[in-house]
Amino acid sequence: MNGSAGSVGPMRVLVTGGSGLVGRAIEHVIKEESGAREEETWIFLSSKDANLMSAEETRAVFQKHRPTHVIHLAAMVGGLFRNMRQNLDFWRNNVFINDNVLQAAHEFDVVKVVSCLSTCIFPDKTTYPIDETMIHSGPPHETNFGYAYAKRMIDVQNRALFQQYGRRYTAVIPTNVFGPHDNFNIENGHVLPGLIHKTYLAKKEGKPLQVWGSGRALRQFIYSLDLARLFLWVLREYDEVEPIILSVGEEDEVSIKFAADAVVEALGFEGDVIFDTSKADGQFKKTASNAKLRKYLPDFEFTPFRAAIKETCDWFVANYDSARK
Amino acid sequence: MIKSLSVLWIYTITMDGSVGPMRVLVTGGSGLVGRAIERVVKEEGGGREGETWIFLSSKETNLVSAEETRAAFERHRPTHVIHLAAMVGGLYRNMRQNLDFWRNNVHINDNVLHTSQEFGVVKVVSCLSTCVFPDKTTYPIDETVMHSGPPHESNYGYAYAKRMIDVHNRALFQQYGLKYTAVIPTNMFGPHDNYNIEDGHVMPGLIHKTYLAKKEGKPLQVWGSGRALRQFIYSLDLARLFLWVLREYDEVEPIILSVGEEDELTVKEAVDAVVEGFGFEGDVIYDTSKSDGQIKKTANNAKLRKYLPDFKFTPFKQAVKETCDWFAANYDSARK
Repeated sequence: MNGSAGSVGPMRVLVTGGSGLVGRAIEHVIKEESGAREEETWIFLSSKDANLMSAEETRAVFQKHRPTHVIHLAAMVGGLFRNMRQNLDFWRNNVFINDNVLQAAHEFDVVKVVSCLSTCIFPDKTTYPIDETMIHSGPPHETNFGYAYAKRMIDVQNRALFQQYGRRYTAVIPTNVFGPHDNFNIENGHVLPGLIHKTYLAKKEGKPLQVWGSGRALRQFIYSLDLARLFLWVLREYDEVEPIILSVGEEDEVSIKFAADAVVEALGFEGDVIFDTSKADGQFKKTASNAKLRKYLPDFEFTPFRAAIKETCDWFVANYDSARK
Repeated sequence: MIKSLSVLWIYTITMDGSVGPMRVLVTGGSGLVGRAIERVVKEEGGGREGETWIFLSSKETNLVSAEETRAAFERHRPTHVIHLAAMVGGLYRNMRQNLDFWRNNVHINDNVLHTSQEFGVVKVVSCLSTCVFPDKTTYPIDETVMHSGPPHESNYGYAYAKRMIDVHNRALFQQYGLKYTAVIPTNMFGPHDNYNIEDGHVMPGLIHKTYLAKKEGKPLQVWGSGRALRQFIYSLDLARLFLWVLREYDEVEPIILSVGEEDELTVKEAVDAVVEGFGFEGDVIYDTSKSDGQIKKTANNAKLRKYLPDFKFTPFKQAVKETCDWFAANYDSARK
């Protein structure tokens, strides 16, 4: 697959959710790592540009930019505790966003859409490691079923677009993503950005670091820049409709405590670390198999975890005032 | 009989605290189940004094449109909703148009459920189907296994859209405490069905084909092997149960409405009943090159029986005869 889009000329790639964690990483790879090819146009959309929950605004965006390809990252996201309280909003808003983007793409004859799922949408009761064939094999975890089903339905819609129209829209399934430009809000954020922000404050205020949960929950983390590089490969080369898990291997799964230790080390925090076991751990384990990725890209090298954490912490310290929190 | 109760006005407390009589909006009101509910409400004392029943059809309102849905709710101000409207199609059309079945039904369902919530509707009873259950599963299936695996490949668009009604109901309950629920009928049949042979479901398709075969003196061609197994529920029985669910059933988890396992039949047995219902005497040919769809999807009606141990279903042959008689008498105006 080269960079052209049939008869319509060079690739014009629209990235929804372009100002988020993954969107910024893709932008970084495109602009500073020669991720883009000559004559390609890359448009990074944010919610300021268009409210994708509106079909009209979505269509207007497609009308304006006429993309040939779409990387669809935009979503209502929230972390464990907000999801538990607002399943309806997470369900509805994400279904609207996804339907609007996929349907507009279809109507505007977009060649390929790569959407973004998550391992948190997989069945709760399952064998491990999970793989791409198991997304729909049972109900998701109760804590975020609204968000989970909305994401799963992207895959349903992709398959239906292929069955009815031959469209090869697809999706990736990252594990826990982290990096610069994340949402570091402690209430609503995800585990790593939440930890980074809390450790920063604990150090600044000379207080203990309070970690929610027991610290024993296990996760595979993927650095946003690695994810971005893989996203570009999926956009250009990956030809299946079935989604693909993008993750470090099973052997690199770590506990929350391990991740907390890496953050503490990166920020040079020297106070006490307390695990608040009255707070939920979320899913205890959700090991994903990256065998499919490794079949395609046996030599892809992920950034070492501690290095990625250090880069992210350094970025957060340098950009504290403007960081989303 | 409890005569004094017949003069009681049935009041309902709406979400904003105001008290008034029940106003029930039935979406898909002109369809198979809607017409059966209408008959039970108007001719069998199914409705109670002071209640208003509004039967909405697609001619009046396109529920795929959020604006039109809201306009209908503004106009009718329901306190309760029986949500039957859907894009439906039978095996062959589903196989070709999964995207349309997925999208249109998601829009219809979201519009009805969301608008109901906005208008303070006390209760919505939606209509699922056993065809949305997991394809690979143990039998009999029950209410707890609906999301336990992917649906059959032939109609996953429709199936997922219906399943998401249950997801939406649970989310409404989790976030707002609303007790919207759903029923899960098995294969329905009766008067006022869609008898289109290409698009229709097995029973109405058979009825139409047998009628024509008899009229034209030709053999009856049945698609599939005849070996697929189904539980059939007569639309009038379903309607009576729908009213019970609307008034009495208090769970958010859906409930299967079906005859029991012991009354499961092969498609061939259904064919024989239709042939008998019309007095058809020609040949019956099974075209095994056509798909059977799911071979078996036995549903467990234990939950229903726990609540209503004495409910009596209309005997199958009698229900088929009534439906055939209706079809013959109404051939010209029947949907086909």
